[in-house]
Amino acid sequence: MNKKVYKFMFFAVLAASVTVISGCRSKPKAGMYGDDTGLYGGEILDGDIPLNDTMGLPTDGDRSMFAPVMFAYDSSQVNPEEAGKVEAVAKYLKKNRSGGVIVEGHGDERGSREYNLALGERRALAIRDYLINLGVDPGSIQTKSLGEEMPADMGHDEGAWRQNRRGVFAIY
Amino acid sequence: MTGAVFAQKTGTVYGRGSDKIAINLASYRTGSDTASRTFLSVLKADLNRSGYFKVTSSGGVLNVAGSCVSGGGNMKAECQVYKVSTRQRILGKSYKTTTADARGLAHRVADEILFAATGKKGMASGKIALVSSRTGRKELYVCDMDGRNIRQITKDRSIVVGPGWSPDAKSIVYTSYKRGYPNVFLTGRGKPLSSHGGLNASGAISPDGKSMAVILSKDGNPELYIKSLRTGWLKRLTRTQRGNEASPCWSPDGNHIAYVSDTSGSPQIYIISRDGKDRKRLTSTGSENVAPDWGRNGYIVFSSRIGGRYRIAMANPVAKSLRVLETDWADYEDPSWAPDGRHIVCSRTASYRSSIYLLDTLKDSPVALLTGSVDWYSPACSP
Repeated sequence: MNKKVYKFMFFAVLAASVTVISGCRSKPKAGMYGDDTGLYGGEILDGDIPLNDTMGLPTDGDRSMFAPVMFAYDSSQVNPEEAGKVEAVAKYLKKNRSGGVIVEGHGDERGSREYNLALGERRALAIRDYLINLGVDPGSIQTKSLGEEMPADMGHDEGAWRQNRRGVFAIY
Repeated sequence: MTGAVFAQKTGTVYGRGSDKIAINLASYRTGSDTASRTFLSVLKADLNRSGYFKVTSSGGVLNVAGSCVSGGGNMKAECQVYKVSTRQRILGKSYKTTTADARGLAHRVADEILFAATGKKGMASGKIALVSSRTGRKELYVCDMDGRNIRQITKDRSIVVGPGWSPDAKSIVYTSYKRGYPNVFLTGRGKPLSSHGGLNASGAISPDGKSMAVILSKDGNPELYIKSLRTGWLKRLTRTQRGNEASPCWSPDGNHIAYVSDTSGSPQIYIISRDGKDRKRLTSTGSENVAPDWGRNGYIVFSSRIGGRYRIAMANPVAKSLRVLETDWADYEDPSWAPDGRHIVCSRTASYRSSIYLLDTLKDSPVALLTGSVDWYSPACSP
C-alpha cells in the first residue's frame, strides 16, 4: 500500500520535472499520473514504439562521451536527478543526426539472470522513451540489455550494486 | 514426510535412504586397463547417485555379473543382473563401444540396470548444458550428469545466457551477443532463431519441437511470444506495459507456459495457455519466485527468495502443492529437473562463487557436481 502511494508520488514528481525540463513541449494529458498510460504523457510513450531491426546497424559505440544513468533497485524509472544526463544525449543526437546511440541497460547481480536481462532492457527502453519524448528520432536509438552480465564494479556490496544498475550511452 | 508430495510418482519402497536396493558388483570382472576400470567405477558411482541403489560388495538383493575388457581402442562389456533370492535374471546384455566412451557406456548401463530393477527412467546418461566464465568469457559448456566429461561448445568470446535443450536432446538453444545484440541461437545452426530489434532471450522450444517461447522487446517492452520454428510466425502472449516477462518453460503437454512476470510488483511465476488466454498466478509466497522449470513429472521447480536467500521450491499446479527443499545457507538458483524426474540440478552460490549441485527431492544429501575456482551456472538438464 505504502509502496503504491510512494510510487504514485514518484511518478508525479518525475512527470512534473520532465514537463518543466522539456519546456512544455508536450502538453500533459489527463490521467497521466496515476493510471496505466505512459509515464511521460500520451499513448505515444506507453512502451509501444516498435524497435528497429538491428541488422546492419552498429553494434558498438563510444561510451566515454556521456555519463551513465543510474537506477534504483529493481526499478526501470529514470530518476529526476538523472534526467539531465538523458537530456545531454538528446541535445547531442539532435545536432548530430547522422549518428545514433545504443542504450545499454545493466543491472546488479541480485536476482535471476534472465529476469535481469528483461529488467536491463526495460531500463534501456525507459531511457529510449525519454529520448524520443525529447525529440530524438526513434530510428537512431537501439537498446541492448546486458542484464547482470557486464558489471561496472565487480564488488558484491551495495556500493558496487549501485554502480551496476545503469544505462550506458554508446554513441556511434 | 518430505517426500509426501511425491508419493504417487517416486515414493516407492526403493526410494528412501535405508530402503535402497543393495546391489552387489563384487563379482564383476574387468581387465587392468584404464577404460574398463573407469567403466566399473563410473557404473558404481552412477548406481549410488541414482538414489535407488546402494552398491555393496557383500550380500545384496541384486547381483551384477559379467566382465569388461578393452583393446585396440575398443571395449566390450557384458552385464547380467540377477535377483539373488530367486536367481531370476532381470537384465542380460552385451555392449560394444570405443574406449573413449567408457564413461558414456557406464552411464547407459547404469540407466538400464535402474530401469530393469525399478521400471524408472534414470538420469545417468543425461547431459547438463551450462555456462562458465572459465576462459574469461561466458561460454556454453556441456557435461555428463556426474559433472565430468566437460566440453566447451561455444568459442564466440562473447556472452552466453540461459541455455536450454531441444526436446530431442540434440541441440541447445541459448542467448548470445556474438552478433552484437542479444539474439537467440541454436547449436549447429549459424543463423539466429530470433534476432529482432531489442531483446531476444530465454528461448524455450516446445515439447513437439515446432515452436519456441521467447522474450522479445521488439514492440517496445519485454513480452512473452511464441514463435513458429517453421514459418517464423509470431504470437504475442502478454501485454504488460509496466512489467517484465522472463524465463518461459513449457508444460509437459505443450499446452501451457510457465514464466516470470513482475506485474505484481515483484517477480512471480505465472502460467498462461499457449493461445494467450487463461493467465494464472502460480506463486504467492516468497519475496520473489524466478527461473521455473516444468518437469515431465508435472512439478514446476523454481528458485524462491525466502528470508533473503534463494532456495529451491517445487509446486504442483494441479494439486496446488508447494514444497521448499532443505538446503544450507547458500543461494540455490536456476533449478532444472534431471531426466529421472526425481533429482534437480541447480547452481549453488556461496562466497560469490557459483558451482553446480545435484539435489534429491526424496532423501539423499546434495551432491557437488562441478566446483572450483571459476563460476559454473545456469545448468539445464537434457530431457
